[in-house]
Amino acid sequence: MKSEQRQAIEELVYRSCLALDAKDFKAFLDLCDAGFRYTISTFSPEIRREMVWLDHDRKGMETLFTNLPRHNSDHSPLTRHATVYTVDMNGKQAEVVAALQVFRTQLDGGASELFAVGRFHDTVNLESLKLSRRIVRLETRLLGYGYHIPF
Amino acid sequence: MAKSGAEWNAPPKFPATHYVDSRVYTDDAIFEEEKEKLFRPAWIIACHESEMPAPYDYRLFTHPAGVPLIVIRGDDAKVRAFYNICPHRGNTILYDPSGNAKRMTCIFHQWSFDCRGSCVDISRAEQGYQERFRKEDAAMREVKCEVAYGGFAWVNLTDDCPGLREFIGGAMDILEPYMQQPLEVFHYHKARVRTNFKLWHDTNSEFYHDFLHYFNRITGMMQPGYFDRKYTGFPNGHATVGSMQIQYDKYDGSKERAVGWPGLARGGWYMVDVFPGMTYNLRTSVLRIDTAIPLGPNEVIIEFRGLGLKSDSEAERRQRVFDHNMIWGPFGRNLHEDLLGVHGQGRALRQGTDSRWILQGREENSTIHDEVGMRHYYAEWSRRMGRPAYDPYRDGKPGPVRQVA
Repeated sequence: MKSEQRQAIEELVYRSCLALDAKDFKAFLDLCDAGFRYTISTFSPEIRREMVWLDHDRKGMETLFTNLPRHNSDHSPLTRHATVYTVDMNGKQAEVVAALQVFRTQLDGGASELFAVGRFHDTVNLESLKLSRRIVRLETRLLGYGYHIPF
Repeated sequence: MAKSGAEWNAPPKFPATHYVDSRVYTDDAIFEEEKEKLFRPAWIIACHESEMPAPYDYRLFTHPAGVPLIVIRGDDAKVRAFYNICPHRGNTILYDPSGNAKRMTCIFHQWSFDCRGSCVDISRAEQGYQERFRKEDAAMREVKCEVAYGGFAWVNLTDDCPGLREFIGGAMDILEPYMQQPLEVFHYHKARVRTNFKLWHDTNSEFYHDFLHYFNRITGMMQPGYFDRKYTGFPNGHATVGSMQIQYDKYDGSKERAVGWPGLARGGWYMVDVFPGMTYNLRTSVLRIDTAIPLGPNEVIIEFRGLGLKSDSEAERRQRVFDHNMIWGPFGRNLHEDLLGVHGQGRALRQGTDSRWILQGREENSTIHDEVGMRHYYAEWSRRMGRPAYDPYRDGKPGPVRQVA
């Protein structure tokens, strides 16, 4: 893998964070290919089970974003901080693992607090250089009153 | 025209049963009293049997009265519950929230207990205690435990409490036909919110707040049958909500729930609110259970469980998980809104904000926007606390903590 290729893959991950931080959902979806699928999963040590907390194809993500203005939501902005750990080539795809920290900043006063930690497990289509799969693997399971916008 | 201070503090123009003094949500002494008078004598859901399928499987549970518990399946398949407190020096015995423990051994001094609560080993017992204290003297404290109403493990801290069936009465009759097959937990998460536990239960006890939920407005409130749903009150403060046919396909990205639930009409939705802080919520294809565990007058942990049928195929389970997550997951459309709602109440009602009265005055023949569900709850609250919720300082201050049978 050339360093330019790795840099481009890393930048794709980071741009996805920037787009969601800015609530620019069109920009986020522009980084995803037609077969994109998005999942949030975690393991519960309490019930000793794998859990899926969100699972949508690209159309489902579009609908989720379209419906957002119809709902009452927390308006505190999130800041996603990703660090790409590994990039493994797999034919025409790259498997990317990135650490994820999500911070929430209060609108009143601007206090920031750690909201969630986890990892992105991304699959990147190397021909289009777009995301074809994102699994957000959460360690944090206590999310207070939650959030409407995925990580 | 806005109100002056005197007008703001004047009692509402409703019967006294139709409003609550907001200090019942904020007062430390009242909260301590509630733990003793509401939670300690009540049957509380600790976990579900599917979380302990094998002998020696256990779950930890922090009882709302503050007591840490172990719920464990025995070698005889019976589910029992014990204090998670070592009788030696009061240490925690089990730390992980679940697991399998043929022996429950305190890490502090290696005292060991079996699944029936008997002490099976005291390290260097003879050298230290000679004949004065034996392992037979060191059993764990067992609490009442019954598995019922869909396979949930209910616990009660009071030795001479009435049985679970007596506590529930007829409140679960509306759901029991739909809980005949073994169920299985597929979702569990907690939410910690700065609000009073009763405010969460209030939210589960009134549907007028469907105005908060676009999903519920479009799939329920705007559909035929919505205003026919009725509340029914039962002894001990429990209440039920009747069903309707939810039109899931009216929401973009949603569709009619094809998986359904055995015996439940298409799109059906029943609820049972169990005093003092639990809710069964059977909504078409998923059973959700809420258990409120108060940490203080303005802080609560709510445990959320999602259940399907143990017999589910992989595809059926996947669909139930999807249906659950659409509205009830941590990123779901409705749960976030409900939690924001009670978070906002917690902000506005905290001590010192001079919010004085909470209105529960809607009367609509016990139908879905009637606030009779909350009134029914506070009638039981008043009975158990020995004074009305609209006047919790009747005797000047909250009274001494005392047990109510």
